[in-house]
Amino acid sequence: MPSSGKFLAAATAAFLAFTSLPASAAQILVLSEDVPAGLDSDGPSAAIPTSQSGMVNMLEPLVGYAAASVKEDGVIMPDFSKPVGLLAESWTYDPAALTWTFKLREGVKGCTGDTFTSADVIYTFARAKSVSGAAPIGWFLSNVASIKGFTTDVFGKDSKAKELGDGIVALDDYTVQIKQSQPNALLLPVLAIFGLQIFDKKIMEAHATAQDPWSHDYGNTVNAPGFGSYCLDSWQKGQSISYKANTNYYRGKPAIDKVVVRRVPESSNRVAVLRTGQAQLVTGLTPKEFDSLRSIAGITVEGVTGNQNLFEHMNFKSPPFDNPKVREAVSHAIPYDQIIATGYFGQATIWQGFVPSGYPGYVPSAKDFIYDPAKAKALLAEAGFPDGKGLEKFVDNLQLSYVSEKESTLGPIVNILQSSFRAIGIPVTLNPIPGTQYGDRQLVKGDLPFAVNDQEEPIGVDVGYAVQLFFVTKDKGGLYNMVNYSNSKVDDLWTKARVEPDANVRNQLLAEIQDQLAADVAWAPIVEYKTQWAMSSKLTGLRWYADNSIRFFDLTLR
Amino acid sequence: MLVRYIAKRLGLGILQLIGLVIGVFFIIRLLPADPVARLVGMNASPQAYAQAAHQLGLDRPLLTQLAIYLGFEPSVQPGLLQGSLGASWVTDSLVMSEIAQYLPVTITLVTLSFLLVLIVAVPIGMLGALNPGGRTDKGVFIYSLFAGSQPEFWWGLLFVYIFFFRLGIAPAPLGSLSPMTDPPAPITGFLLIDSLLEGQWSVFVEALDHLMLPVVTLAFVLSGPIIKMVRQNMLRALRSDFVLYADCVGLPRDIIARYALRAAMAPSMTLIGILYGFMLGGAVLVENVFSLGGIGQYAVRAVLAFDYPVIQGVVLVITAISLLVYLALDLFHAAIDPRIIV
Repeated sequence: MPSSGKFLAAATAAFLAFTSLPASAAQILVLSEDVPAGLDSDGPSAAIPTSQSGMVNMLEPLVGYAAASVKEDGVIMPDFSKPVGLLAESWTYDPAALTWTFKLREGVKGCTGDTFTSADVIYTFARAKSVSGAAPIGWFLSNVASIKGFTTDVFGKDSKAKELGDGIVALDDYTVQIKQSQPNALLLPVLAIFGLQIFDKKIMEAHATAQDPWSHDYGNTVNAPGFGSYCLDSWQKGQSISYKANTNYYRGKPAIDKVVVRRVPESSNRVAVLRTGQAQLVTGLTPKEFDSLRSIAGITVEGVTGNQNLFEHMNFKSPPFDNPKVREAVSHAIPYDQIIATGYFGQATIWQGFVPSGYPGYVPSAKDFIYDPAKAKALLAEAGFPDGKGLEKFVDNLQLSYVSEKESTLGPIVNILQSSFRAIGIPVTLNPIPGTQYGDRQLVKGDLPFAVNDQEEPIGVDVGYAVQLFFVTKDKGGLYNMVNYSNSKVDDLWTKARVEPDANVRNQLLAEIQDQLAADVAWAPIVEYKTQWAMSSKLTGLRWYADNSIRFFDLTLR
Repeated sequence: MLVRYIAKRLGLGILQLIGLVIGVFFIIRLLPADPVARLVGMNASPQAYAQAAHQLGLDRPLLTQLAIYLGFEPSVQPGLLQGSLGASWVTDSLVMSEIAQYLPVTITLVTLSFLLVLIVAVPIGMLGALNPGGRTDKGVFIYSLFAGSQPEFWWGLLFVYIFFFRLGIAPAPLGSLSPMTDPPAPITGFLLIDSLLEGQWSVFVEALDHLMLPVVTLAFVLSGPIIKMVRQNMLRALRSDFVLYADCVGLPRDIIARYALRAAMAPSMTLIGILYGFMLGGAVLVENVFSLGGIGQYAVRAVLAFDYPVIQGVVLVITAISLLVYLALDLFHAAIDPRIIV
């Protein structure tokens, strides 16, 4: 008996020595509004940014973007014109055959030591095409990029359509071919998105069951095994998640050995704990809180104009917003500078377009969106509502909706807007509604008449993608189009741009679309606000990605 | 007699629960939004929408959905009859296991707070009542007005600012344990109990330390109304005939106080019991301030995400606990006053 006790003690000691970190190991505590609710990129929580933050640190995409030569506010920015290989080392494209041939990186190892091969890529795409998850995001991205076979047929009765087919084939262990059904510039952009990051086939298949052959339950509740820079250490949903460095990571072992992310719902507590030095990085503060931390010694606040913005949503099917003069009047009644100063504490710029200004192909609008209440009043009169007379019959549609959970950020802004609109005679009332209800009315029902929206961040870095999301008529291939905008000129231009192989010609078409959107006041862009983080000054190396999630691999702790 | 009483009450409780389950099932479906929208966030094409609705089972007729939830269609998925509350639509985890994770946190918080309140409020309320209008009584009145007049999250944030940020004597408001501490393996789910069972004394102390501020916050806010109530009930009891009689026959003051307390406790306990059931869901603001992942936070997130299985599960479990608490209270009453059962 004593010997077995000794053995147990020795085994425990060995286990502890193996699992606990050496005293010198770098670790950081991150405080966030939430931790991942799931880690399956086709799972029910995949649309939640805090869930994506887990996926992007544990899984690796085939491609990414090179770093731009100039940093913004200390943050490394991507150069979207230079896609670079991550799990794919290089690629060639044969325009005649619409075929991309990817040479995969050799010697890449996952958290358990599995070697990455083409089988993992094939598995990931086959899983996406099976549309077996709650939200078929992998299929959606492949469909947007015209990957052969990823059509809406997968949702039909024919089970054959859900099989991978010959759209993506492995030529050998390290070569994969992807075919497109038509020329489409979106292939590389979608491959950089979290929804098409590559799973470790071996581990995923080991957790498959008869009811769940693609291991969605495993991804949603246990782990997301891949080839990323971090491995899951522990995860308690709604509380915390911790990651440990993938020592096998092909770009080198991460500088920080362990990252603990803790959910702290009260943003003022995230601020307080950061200030005491017990946490090293916090996310999701209000602009005011970020501003208050700017002057604190030992804390750095960094922010970039990435893809976050604020705009006025006006539904084309809801009078009086079907009237272009009314929409234009609204755009001139927005006190842009006041919103930047009061709502964002200076950390925003007037937005003169319809896609993020940092995206290649962005064209600022020829029409100036400026604050001019006299012009707004004149336009309102031209529209048939002098001093707002006649608008009282649209009171329901003049409720300015916004997401109630964002009250601390949007509250001051909607109040400014309300006073400003009332000043020119538009009888606006405020209507805070829960985020889910907002999403339902915005995306599914499409019946939100009037709203402020600060949450549309096109994750695919491409003007064509953003236009398809927001402005193309739904039966012409549009996806969200929450304002029910429909202009056949825009639809035609987009249809041409979608298959246009020449990048210059395509950009010209997309520029014409942007001009048309401005002429129609498809929505009233307000500001692009900075994506901000507050952290210990000892932490450096932050890099911005279009999904607005941090890759802990980029960080170094001095 | 007592056994029959308990059996009758439990039977009634089960009937109430069945009614509630069916009621809640329909009521949440009247909420003004469609849960599918949240799922398809990135991708609202009609096909993807239909796919997501199918995954959630929302494309089935309403009565079929109810039958599945109740467990009459175990071939589709296990339901209530099979002891399953389903899986969350956000996390895909089993609602039962999530409740087992969140509920102990709240039960610990609320129970400790009520214990603290009872220890503090009953003597204070009694003191006030024994000398109505006296200095102690005035002090008690001002305190209870003060404590009960501000919302708990405000006190919580203030306490965090003073005791953590300024004075540094309380731990950071980061939940039940420091983020770098490994929690004990769950046995009962109650951190305090599990850490003791597993002999992790330091974890036990740390958990108590982390609970200190939230418990004080909740107790502070709850003590206001409870002190007032104990005082009122005590005053009423002190003016009742039997106390006057006891006083007239010259019984010592402490014995009279004990008699009066017994009479005053019955109505006080009823209110405390009701408050306890209410606080299981109502401690959410304190949970939020101290990042305690409790059942209140869980319920609020479920409502905001229109996560039907979770809303149904939480309502069912909290109601069941409340019914048990009421039963325990009635038994307590019966012990004080056996006429109740007859």
